[in-house]
Amino acid sequence: MSPGDIWSALTGAGDLQPLLTSVLSGLCTLGVLVLACTPLSWMLARDRLPFPRVWEAGLLCALLLPPLVIGLLLVFMVGPYTWVGGILNWMHQSATNTFLALVIAEVYESAPYYVLGAQAAFAGVDTQYEQQAGLLGDRPGRVFRRVTLPLAAPGLAMSLAVAWARAIGAFGAVVIIAYHPFGIPMQIFVTLQETGLYSALPYALFLLVIALPLPLAAYIWSARAERRRRG
Amino acid sequence: MLSVDVEVDRRDFPVRAALEVAPGERVALFGPSGAGKTTVLEVIAGLVAPRRGGIELNGRVLTSTTAPVVDVPAWQRRVGLLRQDPGLFPHLPVRANLLYARSSSGAELAALARELDIEELLSAMPARLSGGQRHRVALGRLLLAHCDTLLLDEPFASLDAALRRSLTTLVKHLSSERSVPSVLVTHQLADAQAFADRLVVLDRGQFLQTGAPDEVVLRPASRRVAELVGYLGFVPAGPSARPGAGTAAGVHPDRVVPGADASRGFVVTGTVTAARPSGAGWEADVVAGDAAFTCRLPSRPDPGRLSVTLLDPPYFGQDGTLLAPGEHIRAGHG
Repeated sequence: MSPGDIWSALTGAGDLQPLLTSVLSGLCTLGVLVLACTPLSWMLARDRLPFPRVWEAGLLCALLLPPLVIGLLLVFMVGPYTWVGGILNWMHQSATNTFLALVIAEVYESAPYYVLGAQAAFAGVDTQYEQQAGLLGDRPGRVFRRVTLPLAAPGLAMSLAVAWARAIGAFGAVVIIAYHPFGIPMQIFVTLQETGLYSALPYALFLLVIALPLPLAAYIWSARAERRRRG
Repeated sequence: MLSVDVEVDRRDFPVRAALEVAPGERVALFGPSGAGKTTVLEVIAGLVAPRRGGIELNGRVLTSTTAPVVDVPAWQRRVGLLRQDPGLFPHLPVRANLLYARSSSGAELAALARELDIEELLSAMPARLSGGQRHRVALGRLLLAHCDTLLLDEPFASLDAALRRSLTTLVKHLSSERSVPSVLVTHQLADAQAFADRLVVLDRGQFLQTGAPDEVVLRPASRRVAELVGYLGFVPAGPSARPGAGTAAGVHPDRVVPGADASRGFVVTGTVTAARPSGAGWEADVVAGDAAFTCRLPSRPDPGRLSVTLLDPPYFGQDGTLLAPGEHIRAGHG
């Protein structure tokens, strides 16, 4: 396959839409993970949640269940006939076959990877540093910003990069609750079904190109941060 | 002035601490591992809550379990805590570590860095520093934070003896110069004596004796205190020195001289069972009747009978408490 073939396969009308959908939904997913799952990871690492084993079991289930099964569970959790679906319907929204549904599916597929990685990153920060920062006059929020977060940052970046790769390539849950709008994985699947392997390959290449840079950047940045710390 | 009067629940035993430390005064809490020394510091720092009692620092109530209940959070206490691991923030260079509390000027930083001999290290990362340098930086960080009291939890225990001595001297000088009450926790008697104006002996959560460091060693309040401050045996004492008479003289290995000289102390005669080199002299295990003790002698003792004089030893009654001078003679007769 020549560069010309790839270019012509991707420059048809609407051919870049799956790419845009995947990038946007991936970014929304990262936003949800950072805002909602970072505090959750910190609380798990510092034993601040009631019934921590239940939370961890839930995360492991989400990690170990086949994505297709997660999709089926999501139908029962946020489908149109559930109470969540009812609320969404009242707000003229839907969690099936919409951009919102795509983000929900990607969050469910990637969250365990981020939470477990971030939990390990926070657990790796010696609480003695937090204690010392507090004794030097920092209130807890400032301790988190000035000590905990910078020390956990390399681990958080790597976890986020893994979550990004999982989100951008999410397919199993997506095919169940967000068949539309097409992201790249769905486009690959449909193109493969309709026109064959040769037509699907440019999209696979595209998926690789947008999924890889963030993990690569996170790895390089983490390594640099570690080197700087070692002086 | 630091004023502490608290009771803290622990899994094994409660810790009771009552202590007053004047500005510029240095107190050492000395006791075996697990006696509750660190717990006392953590309560003062606000890291552990007491079951009962109160803490005041320079007139500010930091903790009070009686109405009105007060529990000032650790970040508002202005208490400096230096542990064995100096806890320098590994992601910040030395300068940022020193200025972490942001309550000092550049001029103060420069002056203190000069005093601590860390001027050349300001741009280095903590991972590059030696153990002694890390402790100097950690100490500087506490001083630049203008803490109202300095709590030292065996901070130099992992360093070699010479470095430990120089850092102890430095802390003594700085805490006196700044009139900061300081409390050192240690299980090394030499460290406690080198640092403190006042020594508190702590065992299983109880303060057993408080006093000047030399006084506590020469006149331990009980046999338990004597054991903790280095007495390595007790021999029956009194005029007849009968075993079981109840009075015993404490044998501190450093306060023994060879030969019988009753004018200088209490004479003991026994049999040498073992001898080994110790420092510049020899250490001998001696059995005298039912009692056994260890002493240090300037030269290798001959095998067999040995007479030594315990220099002005403390005498303990049947209940294990220290007898007043001369009282052991009456007790021996009784």
